[in-house]
Amino acid sequence: MSERSLSRLQLHNLHLAQARRTVLEHIEGDFKPGAITALIGANGAGKSTLIQAIMGELRPISGEVVCTVAKERRAWLPQQLALDLTFPMSVEELVMTGSWPSHGALTGYCAGHYRKGREIMARLGISHLAHRPLGELSGGQRQRALIGRTLMQEAELLLLDEPFANVDSETVDILIRILRQMADDGATIIVVLHDMDHLRRLADEVLMLNGGHGRWVAPSALNQHHAPAQVVPFTLGGRHAGSA
Amino acid sequence: MLDLLNVWFISPFDYGFMRRAVVGGLALSLAAPPLGVFLVLRGMSLIGDAMAHAILPGVALGFLLAGFSLPIMSIGGVLFGLMVALLAGAVSKMGGQREDAAMASFFIISLAAGVMLISLGGSSVDLTHVLFGSILAINSTALLLIAGISTLIVLTLAVVFRALVVECLDPLFLRGQSRRSGWVHSVFLGLLVLNLTAGFQTLGTLMAVGLMMLPATSARFWSKRLEGLIGIAIVLAMVSSTGGLLLSFHLDIPSGPSIILLAGVGYLFSALFGRYHSLAAKLRRKTTPLAVEHGS
Repeated sequence: MSERSLSRLQLHNLHLAQARRTVLEHIEGDFKPGAITALIGANGAGKSTLIQAIMGELRPISGEVVCTVAKERRAWLPQQLALDLTFPMSVEELVMTGSWPSHGALTGYCAGHYRKGREIMARLGISHLAHRPLGELSGGQRQRALIGRTLMQEAELLLLDEPFANVDSETVDILIRILRQMADDGATIIVVLHDMDHLRRLADEVLMLNGGHGRWVAPSALNQHHAPAQVVPFTLGGRHAGSA
Repeated sequence: MLDLLNVWFISPFDYGFMRRAVVGGLALSLAAPPLGVFLVLRGMSLIGDAMAHAILPGVALGFLLAGFSLPIMSIGGVLFGLMVALLAGAVSKMGGQREDAAMASFFIISLAAGVMLISLGGSSVDLTHVLFGSILAINSTALLLIAGISTLIVLTLAVVFRALVVECLDPLFLRGQSRRSGWVHSVFLGLLVLNLTAGFQTLGTLMAVGLMMLPATSARFWSKRLEGLIGIAIVLAMVSSTGGLLLSFHLDIPSGPSIILLAGVGYLFSALFGRYHSLAAKLRRKTTPLAVEHGS
C-alpha cells in the first residue's frame, strides 16, 4: 500500500495546447488521495483540455503530469459520452465491464464478481434496472450505471466532466454521497462543476481556470471573496438542468 | 412422405461435392455471423463490403502466380486485405478524411485492379469463379482451409470478446484502460479479412459478405441481447447456407446466389414480422400505447 499522504497526481508547470493554440500555462497541482477537487471555469477555459492531459490523451507542450495510479484504476466519465445507446447491453453487464481490465479477458466472472456488482447496483439504487437495456434508461439512471462501472473498477483516480448535467435531483444526491464515500476510501476525484450548490456540497478544493492560468482556492474562500453576484453568473451559465 | 423427405433432404448428400459444400457452408455460418453482428453494432455494416473488394487484387495475384490454388489465393487475399485496411487507417489518421471515405476509395481501386489482373492472366470463366465462387467445387484442401480459418476465427473471437464488446460500446473506456487498445480493432479487421478469404471460394469475393451481414441484420429484429443476436444470426446463416444448397441442387440454379437470396428472404421476413422494430412490431405498438410504460 502506498502512503496515503503521498499525492497520486501532480501537475508540474504544465503547458497545454489544442490545435497549436495555447490553452493553459503554468498549471501546478497536487491532488491527494481522499480529496475531491472541483474544476471550475468558464466555457473554453480549458477544463476538458486539462482532463485530457491528465488522462494521457493529450501530450503537454512542456511540463509534466506525474500520476502514480495504474491505468486500469483510472476512470474518466466525459460529459458527452460516446456511449452507443442502441448497444444490446444491460445495466448489470455494463457495471460488470468495470472488472474486465483487472480481471483479464479469458476467465469468466465468478460469483464474487456478480455479488460485488449487485452490491454496487444496490448502493446506487439501480438494482431493479439490472436487466434493463441501456437504451431504455433515463439520463440519471445511465449516469448511476456508469458510476457503478467505476466502482466495479475500484478506481483510484476518477475524473468526471459535469456529472450532474441532465440528471435528476435524486441521482445528484446519490452520486454526491457515493463520490464522498469513494473519496473516504482513498480515491482521488476531480469533478468539473458549474453549479455552486453542487460545489459547496462536494468539493474539498477548487482549481479555478481563468485566462489560461489556474488558481487554487478553498471552497469557503470562493464563497466569501466572490460575492455570489460575481461567481454565480459564470458558474451557473445556463447549465442548471440538474434539478429538472 | 418419408420418401419425399429423403429425396429432398437426404439423397442430395450422396454426392461428395454436396457433402463438402454443406460442411463448408456450415463452417462459414459459424464464423461469419458473429463478425457481422459486431460490424452492425459498430455502425460499420458497409466496411465488410469494402473489405471484400479489397482482397480481390491479392486473390488475383495468387491466381496469376500459382493458378487456381486456394491456399495461395487466400494468402494473397489476406495480405492485400490487411494492407488496404492499414492504408485506409493511415490515410484517415493523416488527417482530414474519415476512415470510411478512405476505405471507399481504396476498395474501388482494389476491385478494378483485381478484375484487371484476372482478365490479364485468365479467361472470363476464371473471373466469374473468383467473383461469384462455386461452393460445389470445393475440394478437400479447400474444405480444410475453410474449416481451419473458421475455427481460428471462433477461437480468437472467444479470446477478444470482452474487449470487443467494450470497444464497441465505449471506445474511450477501453482506451483509458490500456495503451495497446488499438490491437482490438486490428485483430477484428484481421478476422474480417480472414473470413472473407475463406468465403470467396464458396460464395465469391462479392457475395461472401452476404453470409456475414444478412443474418446479422436480420437478427436485430429478433433479439435485444448480444448473445441472442449472435445465436440467431448463426442459426439463420446455417439454415440459409444448407437450404440454399438444396434449392440450387433441386432447381438447378447457381448455389452462391441461392444461399444469399435465401438469407435475403430471411431478412425481409424479419423486417416484416420480427419482434423488435419490424413492421408488425410497429403496428402492435400502435394498438397498445400503454405497453410502452415501464414504471421506474
